[in-house]
Amino acid sequence: MRRELSITTDKIDEAALVQHRELAGDMGAVISFVGVVRGLEEGRPIDAIDYEAFASMASHQFELIFDQVEKRWRVASVRLVHRVGRVAAGEPSLWVEVMAPHREEAFAACQFIIAEMKRLVPIWKKPCPA
Amino acid sequence: MRIRVHFYSYCKDLTGCDSASECVEPGSRVGDLLQVLFARFPKLAAARKSLLIAVGVDYQGADYVLQEGDEVSLFPPVQGG
Repeated sequence: MRRELSITTDKIDEAALVQHRELAGDMGAVISFVGVVRGLEEGRPIDAIDYEAFASMASHQFELIFDQVEKRWRVASVRLVHRVGRVAAGEPSLWVEVMAPHREEAFAACQFIIAEMKRLVPIWKKPCPA
Repeated sequence: MRIRVHFYSYCKDLTGCDSASECVEPGSRVGDLLQVLFARFPKLAAARKSLLIAVGVDYQGADYVLQEGDEVSLFPPVQGG
């Protein structure tokens, strides 16, 4: 399974990520998910979220999650970008792409990655009030 | 032996620092280290039920036996995405 992981302060450029997509011949499903910073946090307007990561552990935990994906589903590729630092409301903080032969495993793997990330990957957020 | 401890997210607010160094007896467990830290940082003790613990880049429990050179990290539940 091809893996690409980036934990970065750079803005997520979805168009560039899609442009670099490498489709394999027997892969019929590409799922991509974009997580965007909401302008409201617990009902209060915010300007941004400041993301903090324990970067080396975050990378390691993502790799362990990808190991699980590889064991559970026939997936050709996982690419994931998580932005850290200050991310303005309306901007993407997370981009995940999963490529698989069929939609069932692509959706399932993508859901699994995000659910496990929210359980295990040491990244935290601090809302910046408007 | 001396163990380096790193704090993340609001654990930094609870301790007032992003890292600390503590001396523990050889053979000590993470739980023993936590007791030392809770005595030094009482506000951290108040959050003990929600604390997550890592040694290096892996999660560990209170029973983990510390080794010379281990780096321990304490942090609240994660919130990625």
